[in-house]
Formats: sequence, C-alpha cells, structure tokens
Amino acid sequence: MTLLIKDEYPEKLFREDGKRLDGRDLKELRPIKLEVGILNNADGSAYLEWGNNKIFAAVYGPREVHPHHLAKPDKGILRVFYRMATFSVFERKRPAPGRREKEISMIITDCLEPVLFLELYPGTSFEVFIDVLDADGGTRCASTTVAALALADAGIPMKSLVTSVAVGKIDGKIVVDLSGVEDKAGEADLPCAITWFNEEISLLQFDGDMDLNELDTFLKLAKDALKEIYEMQLNALKSKYITIQEKYNGGQVKQ
Amino acid sequence: MENDELDSEEFEDFEDEEFTRDLVVPGEILTEDTENFLPGRGTILNEKKNKIISLNIGLKKITKNYINVIPLRGFYTPRPGDKVIALIVDKNPVKYRCDINAKDFAILKPKNTFKRSKIRTRGAEKDIGDTSTEKYSIGDILITKIISADRLNMPELTTVGKYLGKRSNGIVISIDTPKIPRVIGRSGSMIKLLKNLTKCHIFVTQNGRIWLKGEDLAHEKLLIDAIKKIEKEAHTVGLTDRMSEYIENEKKKRGIN
Repeated sequence: MTLLIKDEYPEKLFREDGKRLDGRDLKELRPIKLEVGILNNADGSAYLEWGNNKIFAAVYGPREVHPHHLAKPDKGILRVFYRMATFSVFERKRPAPGRREKEISMIITDCLEPVLFLELYPGTSFEVFIDVLDADGGTRCASTTVAALALADAGIPMKSLVTSVAVGKIDGKIVVDLSGVEDKAGEADLPCAITWFNEEISLLQFDGDMDLNELDTFLKLAKDALKEIYEMQLNALKSKYITIQEKYNGGQVKQ
Repeated sequence: MENDELDSEEFEDFEDEEFTRDLVVPGEILTEDTENFLPGRGTILNEKKNKIISLNIGLKKITKNYINVIPLRGFYTPRPGDKVIALIVDKNPVKYRCDINAKDFAILKPKNTFKRSKIRTRGAEKDIGDTSTEKYSIGDILITKIISADRLNMPELTTVGKYLGKRSNGIVISIDTPKIPRVIGRSGSMIKLLKNLTKCHIFVTQNGRIWLKGEDLAHEKLLIDAIKKIEKEAHTVGLTDRMSEYIENEKKKRGIN
C-alpha cells in the first residue's frame, strides 16, 4: 500500500486566538536545550534541541589537513561538514551530500571564521562535523549556534561566541524563529547570525517577499531573540564546571 | 628512581589559590578599566581598546595589573625544553617519527639517541649504531625532551639526558593537557602526596601523558582513579586536602595499604 501524503500546508498560519499554530506568540522562541562535552572521542562537542530540531556538533583540531593540497602555508583552515541524517526529514533523504548541504556547510564556515585566530596555526585544519538527526525548520541557524559552542568546548581560542536565529513574515505579520511549516508556507524568511565581540552580522540570507523598509524591524527583532539565545549558550558552557565547583565549595564560587 | 622535578616556572599559573577564580567563557568582558589593567595570557583587547575580553573557557586570575585566563580546555603546543612521552609510529634508516599528542609528528634522529663518546674515533672505528635507527622499534614508548619546535616545522626530540629513554614497563595514561599543572600541584605538592600514599613511581609530562608504575595492580588502579578525579575537579579549591582524604578512604574500601 502506498502511503499518500498530500504536500499541502494549512491556509492560515495563525490560530483563532491570535497565536501561531504551535501555540507561540509572535516573538516567542521554541524551547531550546543545550549541552556541551557529550562526545568522548571528539576534542569538543555540543548537542542542541531546538523545538523539533536535534543536532550534534563535534570539533577536531588543530590537525593535519587531508587531502594535503588544501593546506595553506600561512594560515589554518576551518572546515564544516553539515550533514542531514536520512531519517531527519519526512521523505527519506539520500545520504550523499547534496547542493543544499554543501551550501550550508560553506555559509557556516564563513560565519564562524571571523571569531577564530586561524593565522596562528599554519598548515593545519579545524574540522566541525554537524549531524542533523531531526529537522524542522531553521537548521542552519541551529547548526551555527551549536557549532560555536562546540568550538568553545574544544578550547580553541575565540574572540566570542556566534549566535544565529531566523526572522520571517507569515500571513503579513513579522515573527521570530520560524518552524518548518511557517518556513515553507510563509511569505519571507531571513536567517541571520551575530558575532558578539563587535556585534556585527556574520550571516544574512533572504528568501521571499518583503518590503525593504521592514528590514530594520526584522533585525531589531532578531537582536532581542539573539540575546536570549546567547544567555542560554553561556549557561550551557558554564554549567558543566559550576556544578562540580558548587559541590565542593559549599554552593558558592570562591571570591 | 624517577624524579619529577619539572621546571616549576611553567606551572606558576596554578600555584596561588588566593586569587579570584571566576569562570569565564570566550567573548566575556573581563574588565572595562583598561588604564589600570593589561591583557595577559588568554585575553585580548577589543578594537576600540576599551575592553579586555577572554579568548578561552577558563578561570579568571589577576596578577598585579595583568588579567589572565587559565584555560580549562585546550590542546598541546610543543615548546623547546618540554619533556614529553612519545610513541614511535614510523621509522626509516635516517629518523624515527613519534606521536607526541600535538598537531605534527615529532622527529627523532639517531644522533640524538646516543651519548657522544669523549674519545674521537676519526671516522674509521665509528660505531655503526650511531647513524642507524636500530636502537628502538615501532611501538616503543620513550620519555624524550623537545630540542626545537616552532609553528611551521616538525618538532625535534632527544633521548639523551637524565631520566630520558625507553620505558619497557609501567602504564601510560593521558589526561587533558591544561590540567597537568594541577596534577603536579604547588611546587610539586600534589605529586609528592600521590607518590607517598600509593607508593608508585610517576613521571608527568607536559603533553598530557603520565607514566606510572607501582608495586601491584591494585595500587596502580588506585592512582589512575585518583588522577582521573584530579582531572575532573581541576577547577575547584582545596583539591590537595580532598585528594589525601579520598585516597585514604579508597585504601580502606579496597583493602590495600
């Protein structure tokens, strides 16, 4: 028996009480859970659950470059491998890296490079492996967020963390953090990332219909959301050590 | 036997426990007072030069007017003079290649594995062993010293010196490199404690590997557990006292003395 699933999206993306289909307000994020240091054999690792997204990131490096001709004599290179599991989306995804995966790997590389000191490690590579186990909209933003966390966990010197979120427009209203359905059926989608050491935009993509005058509103909304996620990133990094500290210092860090 | 008098200058960072030990993460602002403070290890000034920010996940420490961040995670960078435990992974007639837990393999040349004799042989009676790689084989574990290392070239090793050479017995374990100073303790206090209580010989090296050998397996197991505990709790205060308590308790539990 063939499974018939209609490729249709709901006409209205808002419920009658004015909330979104998953019960969120316009500026509300999906629930986020972050953890660091979960893979033993990686130099640094992190895990993220962002709504229905489930993503692993592992960092290795600095190490030799393979194939060797990619190595640069004056600086190190950062390589990101973004991969989606075959079971991560509704219809089975072919395991070979496609056009979309190569593009997302490239934009995450470009997004993370400004915070690293690659010139200090000539002839080496840092490698970030991102595995998407479950995808439901906004995986490129979630991957950037979790990759920055894994790099920090590996002890690689960084100027700051990087945080990313998507803003969009659905049914004429501007919303933060689009889910899978909203992404496909909505009007516009604008993922953006920020590097905190100079508060510059490190990633900005756009897809859909939007008035250019609205861009400022989009970015302002994004920044509020980014700050919220940044706090979560800091907590995730610190909590691993603070729990041990609290156990032996009687609940307080020694001043 | 093996003494562990490593250069104490290297480990000053972990010595004083009276300073502030706040946990910081990359990008965190350490101070905005750039007139009275200077950026030290693991920190950087921002472009406008009005903030000092951290580069690593680690502990903030203020020494005089320098702000330092002592990292909790990181990788080993070879420096000349470091003692390291090396594993021979490859050899050819001219040189050995060794894994020293760094980004490159290290090179050990045969001329650095023999002591130079005082009597000059003028070439004719030269021992062939001096120039061929027959002394060690692949898979050997050596305690070596780094004689040269920089960012671009492969580090070079030597096995000529006190306590250096091949180890054919004992156990080698590895821990996170930034936590090595904690295993040694303030002017060697922690390592003395471990030695006295477990009656084991220990050799700690800067690349995160530790060679140890005890009377029997029970003592060695106890020592390994103790070192793993130090690694896990490296960022807490009063570790030395807690470790002696821990080892005494474990001894009673395991029935060894």
